[in-house]
Amino acid sequence: MKILFAEDETDLREVVTAYLEYQGYTVIAVCNGQEALEKAKADAFDAMVLDVMMPVMDGITAMRRIREAGNLSPAIFLTAKSQVSDRVEGLDAGADDYLTKPFAMEELSARLRALERRKRDYKVRTLSFGNIVLDTEASELRAHNTIGLAYKEMRLLGCLITNSEREIPTTELLREIWAGEDADANTVWMYVSFLQAKLQSVQANIAISGDRGHSYQLREI
Amino acid sequence: MSIYGHCRDTLVSVMNRLVSQIEAYSKTYEATSGERLYEHLRYRVKSEESMLDKLRRRGLEPTPMNALRTLTDAIGLRIVCLFIDDVYENAARIKALPGVRVVQEKDYIRDAKPNGYRSYHMILDVETEETDVEGNTPGHYYVEIQLRTIAMDTWAALEHELKYKKDIRNPEVIAQELHRCANDLAACDVSMQTLKRIIREM
Repeated sequence: MKILFAEDETDLREVVTAYLEYQGYTVIAVCNGQEALEKAKADAFDAMVLDVMMPVMDGITAMRRIREAGNLSPAIFLTAKSQVSDRVEGLDAGADDYLTKPFAMEELSARLRALERRKRDYKVRTLSFGNIVLDTEASELRAHNTIGLAYKEMRLLGCLITNSEREIPTTELLREIWAGEDADANTVWMYVSFLQAKLQSVQANIAISGDRGHSYQLREI
Repeated sequence: MSIYGHCRDTLVSVMNRLVSQIEAYSKTYEATSGERLYEHLRYRVKSEESMLDKLRRRGLEPTPMNALRTLTDAIGLRIVCLFIDDVYENAARIKALPGVRVVQEKDYIRDAKPNGYRSYHMILDVETEETDVEGNTPGHYYVEIQLRTIAMDTWAALEHELKYKKDIRNPEVIAQELHRCANDLAACDVSMQTLKRIIREM
């Protein structure tokens, strides 16, 4: 785990850096938002910890610029102020969490672990059911053969696998996968048909049960 | 002297007769349904040079027996279809032709090769009134048939190019991307077949 840490108070910066390094993190420590922005652009970090009040460029501005550059690494900001508006601004700028100074070191590292855990959960690369493997990174369905999947097919199959113990109503699938789009029960049914044919073509030992407009579930065959 | 011995001319007539039979059922189908069962039908008798080459590669004596009995692709047909279902429809109709016996079938559409190759292969034993390489009358000739969709045909053409090109830089990356293409094309074939069915049901 590599962490970008921006804090202008020298003592605090050194103490936190030492603590996090002791916890096994690699820490790149900088003194202001401008330096944080430059480091974030030049290197990849697993997480960022940014103080809000810093000279040259404050933490919230740096956060906003970092997000604008497309960087999605989890970020925590540290604030001395306890105003709600300050925390709201920080979170809206793209931070995932915050800590109010003074804070306990244990709490900082616990929050880093929590972010790490969430990031890992979001990055589930493969899902399995029966003899199939859904590779969400490569957008592929594998069993005896391999076949490419369209984005919606992948989402639909992922949803069916993670909810394999229950029937999923068409309305729920529309809400989950086609939110805000011009889609109806026939759209869902068409994608179920696409998936059904693809499952067959890779010789999967599972199939999707359910009729048009009703609920769907994966079943072993 | 031909590598096919006295069978050289018979090979051509056996091939032409089979092609006519296929064209005939296709014509009938088109007349009744208004649709074609295949887009292209290509055929050839393997050239003397290619046959000699293949025998040499396999470590076989260059005899008509080896060319026509050990190897089975002196006569080759390729049928290229629009849809996956058409591949199976053609295969079924060929199997049902008079004087034709299926010796071997390999469904590489269901069981794609590791590199992503997909096609339906058949080796036929075709009976003819003419003499064969063993001197039997009626005679027997092997015919190899490859059936595939246009997408599979395009892929095979590219893979063929890769296979015979020497000194390619990072061949693993190319092979990996080619495999991905095979999976994407298969996805398209399957989706279009499904859409066709859905449109029909509307």
